[in-house]
Amino acid sequence: MRVFITGVGVVSSIGLGKDAFFQALAAGKSGIGPVEAFDVSNLGRTNAGEVKDFRPRDHLTAAEARRMGRCSQMALAAARMAVADAGLAPSVLESPRTSVVLGTTMGEADVLADLDHAWIAKGAAGVRRAWIPKYGSTLLPIHVARALGAQGAVLTLPAACAAGNYAIGFATDLIRAGKADVIITGAAEMLQELQFCGFVRLAAMAPTRCQPFDLNRQGLILGEGAGILVLESEAHAVRRNARVLAEVGGHGMTCDAYHITRPHPDAAGSKAAMRQAIERSGITPDDIDFVNAHGTGTKHNDSAESKVMRDVFGERRVPISSMKSMLGHCMGAASALEAIGCVMTLETGIYPPTINYETPDPECDVDVVANTARKGKADIVLNNSLAFGGYNSVTCLARPGKLPPPSEVAKANAA
Amino acid sequence: MNPKAITGLGIASALGTGRSTLEDGLKNPDGIAPPGPIQSFDASRYGTPPIVEVPGFDPTKYLGDKGLRTLDRLTKLLVVAARLSLHDAGLKRDNQWAALGPDRVGVCCSNAYGSLEAITELDRVAVLEDARYINPAKFPNTVSNSASGYVSIWEDLRALNVSVSDGNCGALDAVACADVFLETGRAEAILTGGGEAMSEALYLAFDKLGALAASDPSSPRARLGEGAAFLVLEPLERARARGAKVLATIDGYGTAFIGPKDDATLLYASSEALERAITQALEDARIGASDVDLVVSGISGIARYDDEERAAITKVLGASRPIAAPKLLFGETLGAGAALAMAASLAWLDGVAPSCIVAGERPAKVDTVLVTSVGYYGNASALVMRGLR
Repeated sequence: MRVFITGVGVVSSIGLGKDAFFQALAAGKSGIGPVEAFDVSNLGRTNAGEVKDFRPRDHLTAAEARRMGRCSQMALAAARMAVADAGLAPSVLESPRTSVVLGTTMGEADVLADLDHAWIAKGAAGVRRAWIPKYGSTLLPIHVARALGAQGAVLTLPAACAAGNYAIGFATDLIRAGKADVIITGAAEMLQELQFCGFVRLAAMAPTRCQPFDLNRQGLILGEGAGILVLESEAHAVRRNARVLAEVGGHGMTCDAYHITRPHPDAAGSKAAMRQAIERSGITPDDIDFVNAHGTGTKHNDSAESKVMRDVFGERRVPISSMKSMLGHCMGAASALEAIGCVMTLETGIYPPTINYETPDPECDVDVVANTARKGKADIVLNNSLAFGGYNSVTCLARPGKLPPPSEVAKANAA
Repeated sequence: MNPKAITGLGIASALGTGRSTLEDGLKNPDGIAPPGPIQSFDASRYGTPPIVEVPGFDPTKYLGDKGLRTLDRLTKLLVVAARLSLHDAGLKRDNQWAALGPDRVGVCCSNAYGSLEAITELDRVAVLEDARYINPAKFPNTVSNSASGYVSIWEDLRALNVSVSDGNCGALDAVACADVFLETGRAEAILTGGGEAMSEALYLAFDKLGALAASDPSSPRARLGEGAAFLVLEPLERARARGAKVLATIDGYGTAFIGPKDDATLLYASSEALERAITQALEDARIGASDVDLVVSGISGIARYDDEERAAITKVLGASRPIAAPKLLFGETLGAGAALAMAASLAWLDGVAPSCIVAGERPAKVDTVLVTSVGYYGNASALVMRGLR
């Protein structure tokens, strides 16, 4: 059973909605700027990829906006865009065969901060009772399912910075296993003060900008947003004559089991995840046209990821780029937003650039799409995500019809 | 689903740490010692809060005393349960691999609220002192999948690690995830279960919502609990082929979501969602309602949820089916809840006389168990476990 992407929705620092997002990615537009949501004046770092023009009431009813934290608000807004993009009628969505599987790192972080700060300032009596049930990462898909009428599995996979790929990969497995026809998937994350401070204290945050693969890269820049995709079984998409944006191929999942924040120096886990994604798609490394890098802009990540590229592709220099140079690291939402960027690449043949790239790093000897977008063959691409906790996940995405049928791949793998 | 073998169990619960403490407690529930003083936070201002913790939990006994300093309670509970489960399944002996190996074993771990302990501790430093003073070694604990990630690090489990968050249905959903991953050959064995740790913030939240208040003198009062349990799941034929002892099988799963119609409502219990989940689970296991000997429910003493759960069970299985409520022993343990229910079910399938019966007659023999859970927002899941026939 093939699994298709038939709609996408985006809330990002470089644009709301698919069209604005695609245009900004192709133009190398940066969403990074001074943080406005909270006071960063004494933290030594000021910048992030904050979503500044998101007005919840443009997308949500007053009651919906009231019962949600910012993370769910962005998730639902992007989900509504994705469903509209897919042309799915409410009557089709309202079904036990529709599921919602979302990823996140922290979920409703603003709700918890509000509760916690009230408790610290005023004691237990100061905590707003009505806000308590609004906290929990499980709420993201609950809110989306409720608004869209999904009645099947409703699940959050908190997989830190690989959460989007985990959700997309698991949703694909569920559809292939015949357990759902349509799955609203992807991820959402909001920028929040405690996280910001934490990354500063881990000495992981760059002073002003994110420079993946550059010799002088100084770390990551945080971001936020939501990327939601509509996945459909081939049978369901064909039955309703849906426009197909892309096909989800194989995905790889491994765990480094090494360190909670650092990638394994030999990168065996991320290498295995990339190889799994390729093998499970029934193709070889030679078939990959472009790799969307995890590319956080930290010393460790980018050199390890470059090594994996060389190990997987050998002498062949496959173009690679990191959208995090423009979006910042949107944590749980990162690989979902980037999967949508990959859909653009498959549709248009445009590889989005890695901006702020100035000085090549011998430790990162890869073909970086530097500073301006590049046109090229884009039939099959990989989307890398390598997370905190040693969670690695890589997804293969392709133009419709460019991958062998999954039944043949399964047969070959079994043999 | 193709039946999955349960080949090992590791558990830390209100009955103690380790499988034998679970079985002893279930054999003699009246002999369980009452909860001692609260260990996880200073509860002096709350009188005698309705809380059950893992009694005398001492991770150093299982993990040694190195490397524990920055780990939170949730992580320690989960790592201990994981280590015990690997040994129980014969995958490890004296902390060394004895079967399969790191690349073939993964983790599917449910948790509802992450480490509230870590988040509130760092928030306090940031608000009362200065954000620049938060401990970077503790910051990773604030991330939702951190505890699950540490399970892989401590036990060297590299096949995959998937955290699942679906409130108190999460551990049943973790089984559904593990089933998909085993069927697609991503691992040969998956530690499947969940954990939740007691903290002052968690207690305060439930207390403030009135969830722990006695609703009716004739019903048991809900207690908030904590714990962790992992079941080692493997494809049945493969488990047999490697000579593993099979404790029971998981044969079917179902889940559904039906949200409230009323715009102002957020917390919501749906009996219809559970009816659908039960029906799906029975179909998935290819059994009929009359095959279920015992329902191991999520009934916890929170009346609005308990009532909907009973209504759904009664509607699908009839009014006379025996219903057990292990949360009366374990407390409401949220992300760990259904994992502890599956652990209790293992003992009952193994011949231990069922306890915590809240409806129907205690069955003389238990071959087939239906585990049910009603989420707090309209979600519900159910799962079928069978003993060795």
